[in-house]
Amino acid sequence: MMIPVELKINGKDYSLNVKPNELLLNVLRERLNLLGAKYGCGIGECGACTVLLNGKAVLSCLILAASVSGQEITTIEGISENNKLHPLQEAFIEEGAIQCGFCTPGMVMTAKALLDENPEPGYDEIKEAIRGNLCRCTGYVNIVKAIKSGSKKLKERRKE
Amino acid sequence: MSKKEYFILGKDYPRKEDIARVTGKELYPSDISLPGMLTGKILRSPYPHARIKRIDFKRAEAMGAVCISYKDVPDTYFNQRLVSVPKATYKDWQILSDKVRQVGDPYAVVAAETEELASRAARAVEVEWEVLPSYLSPEESLKAEGELIHDRVYLEDREIPIEKNIACTREIVEGDVEKGFKEADVIVENEFVTPRVYHCQLEPRSCVCRPEPDGGITVWPSTQALHNTRILLGQLFDIPLNKVNVVRIPGGGHFGSGIHTNSVIYLTVAIALKAGRPVKIAPSREEDIYDHCRYPTRYTLKLGAKKDGTLVAGEMNALVDIGSHHIQAFAFLGVLAGWWHSLYRLPNMKYRGTAVYTNKAPTCAMQGYGAPQVTFGVETTMSMLAEKLEMDPLKLRLKNYVGLGEIFWGQGPSVRSTIYSDGVEELLTKGAELIGWKSRPDPKSQTGRFRRGIGMARGFHTSGTGAPVPGEVKDYSTAMVKINEDGSVDLLTALMDHGGGTLDAAAKLVAEEIGVPFEKVGISPADTRSTGYDVCTHATRGVYCGGGAAHEVARMAKKILLEYASRILNAPVDALKTMPDFERNEGIIYVDGMPEKRITIAEVAQTAMNNDWGTAIAVKSIRKVHCPPAYTAYFVEVEVDTETGEVKIKKVVAGSDAGVVVNPKMAKGQLHGGFYRGAGMALLEDTDYDLETGKLTNKGLIVDYKMLGSADLPDPEDFITFFADTYEPTGPLGAKGIGEAALNPVPAAVAAAIQNATGVWFTKLPILPEDILNAMKERENG
Repeated sequence: MMIPVELKINGKDYSLNVKPNELLLNVLRERLNLLGAKYGCGIGECGACTVLLNGKAVLSCLILAASVSGQEITTIEGISENNKLHPLQEAFIEEGAIQCGFCTPGMVMTAKALLDENPEPGYDEIKEAIRGNLCRCTGYVNIVKAIKSGSKKLKERRKE
Repeated sequence: MSKKEYFILGKDYPRKEDIARVTGKELYPSDISLPGMLTGKILRSPYPHARIKRIDFKRAEAMGAVCISYKDVPDTYFNQRLVSVPKATYKDWQILSDKVRQVGDPYAVVAAETEELASRAARAVEVEWEVLPSYLSPEESLKAEGELIHDRVYLEDREIPIEKNIACTREIVEGDVEKGFKEADVIVENEFVTPRVYHCQLEPRSCVCRPEPDGGITVWPSTQALHNTRILLGQLFDIPLNKVNVVRIPGGGHFGSGIHTNSVIYLTVAIALKAGRPVKIAPSREEDIYDHCRYPTRYTLKLGAKKDGTLVAGEMNALVDIGSHHIQAFAFLGVLAGWWHSLYRLPNMKYRGTAVYTNKAPTCAMQGYGAPQVTFGVETTMSMLAEKLEMDPLKLRLKNYVGLGEIFWGQGPSVRSTIYSDGVEELLTKGAELIGWKSRPDPKSQTGRFRRGIGMARGFHTSGTGAPVPGEVKDYSTAMVKINEDGSVDLLTALMDHGGGTLDAAAKLVAEEIGVPFEKVGISPADTRSTGYDVCTHATRGVYCGGGAAHEVARMAKKILLEYASRILNAPVDALKTMPDFERNEGIIYVDGMPEKRITIAEVAQTAMNNDWGTAIAVKSIRKVHCPPAYTAYFVEVEVDTETGEVKIKKVVAGSDAGVVVNPKMAKGQLHGGFYRGAGMALLEDTDYDLETGKLTNKGLIVDYKMLGSADLPDPEDFITFFADTYEPTGPLGAKGIGEAALNPVPAAVAAAIQNATGVWFTKLPILPEDILNAMKERENG
């Protein structure tokens, strides 16, 4: 049995027929070639598969694609505009917040959801927001710094 | 040797991989898809120890799946890790066997058109088992009366007898330990226990293999060692190496779990060869956690010192539970002794190590390769000795540490080299100042629910495993550097970058040497067909050995370039110098003392091409004949909640002696990450087995594999890092390593901080809240 779904992903409309048990993560990766969201655990524990669903950070490994028909999804591939990096992406590079990089897409998406809701978070709020995103390389220090500096960059860019 | 000003080293640039990684465009092994590719599934044992009586693929094959068991693959014995020389390599692995030796042990592989079909087919495989008695602790294993875990093990090509599940032993003696202890005024002896930590690299180890029409294979694996993977695959499947191409692709974290060729790699190749189609195997997290972990240790350590603090003797007896297989436990037993020997001068030492098989996940290298384990015991013992001697712990360390001009064991007793740079005193003095060492609390006078404590520990890691005389480990790297016709440069090497900036460091060393801006050096895609042998990116050898090779080869290419330039400028080669022109984004060559007599590197390269002089290009394999220690020291402040036993990390001061620091921001990142994983080992991480079922008590789910999270680390301002001002004369432009040194002293430093807060020395890791509560209760009850 296939279920028709309509998805708006990174601003583009997709009509797909999915299986009832097909996960959003698998649809993104296997059907749409959006490989930024990663499989790290499959049980919602590591955050590597984080994408935005109607602007909120969600774990795409726990969501059935059929359950989000008609909704809006943003992935790491959709946050740069006209080849210009999002301020958070710039900040991650500048602060040395990327090592192996496998957690980076999910981490950036969680951070984006945070800044969209709370444009000037303190360290504790940042740490709390990324609690569900596992990074095994960096010890989080530079990631926390990058999100803080990303918030300042975003504020400046919004003024422009 | 003095430090010089560098144009590029020591400056921060965006890493070359950063844009791909931050935009989701970097491809890891689990992201690779090929036309016609099948998905593979590994079938894993539900029993800790069992033999296959019957395996039937009929139902799975009827569903269209391709299947293999031990009957379908070569039965060669091998070791997954090819870093050691053959005479020190124990072989107890087979591609697949009729016997399983742990829960999660692979016994068959199926592949099908889709993941769903492969999973269904895997469930349709019928197996009848003969369940054998299992051994889930080394103590139990040593008493084995039933069938042993291994009945056949080879050392090089000689079958060796196995008794009581003992995988191997090592004894190392220097001086006369009995005489030494007689000279001691103070002796401290304890038993230390360290946990079976899971690497938990974020990407489960994965692989893609494509069989080629010429009988060869192309492989995209999670690995730290391209060439060793190629050599092993060539041997196992009897394919000439010129038809085995292993492609460099970033892994989603390694931490040592990819030094050896993990089973997923050769199982992917085996099923792809059977299917005659490309296959991807991307195991689940629950599979990965049964595939590798850190060596746990249990050891007694006895150290004796004279009244003035001079160490006179030491004795260590270590028992290592290696799990189901050798991934070079012999080398591990050697490095346990080596790290111990190289921390502090011991004129008399005696070491015995025993590695025992159990029916658990196989153990392998993880950041530090035994150093965090040993450093925990040695540093704790040094602090205890200082207490007994009523001596400042820093002074005791400075008096005894192995430093400048002394002999260092960089990889067990067979790799010895002289120390030429030493920043230990600076690390201890500056670290003490930054944490407020002098005003640390007195554990005896602490009261109240929340108690603060400051602790420290020092350590090191080797930079590679080079030594004047080759020992038990292979160590060399190969690089090619060519100067292109527009003055840009290509660097080709089989070095890997695990996220720490190793490839950028190599490119910076090349840029600095040739005299071009960093952006002008490109890192070429690498595979085993296009690169020369590189042993592995492990042992903190990336910058020192791999970068060292790149730097040396850049010097050779530059020599050719300058010879061409001397023809054009009509000046002798010795009078020519190079430097980057950052404004014009190019490299220039000028006559020393006559800066107006200059030419760009691009012009020289073009002239050389147009006149058929040739390309300035060089390639060479280079072995380092030293392995300098990269020293580190950690000072940690914690707050212990005496009602809950919870430990909060309030402040960290991390000092590193990495020689000339090539990538400052990335080097600091190494210290952050090393601290995080070391503190996790100290406070939380362990893989615990159900002694009845042989399964992990967390069932392989990382929900119950607890690691420190973002909220457990101090704010960025409270994590202070600094570098000693040193220059390593044997290193490329003064550099040595950092990576593993960033973790090694951390568990000991955290334990010392907890002692300072609670008055209790913990000798078993991890130090869980309940351990703290119990120990404090015991202390109160006298």
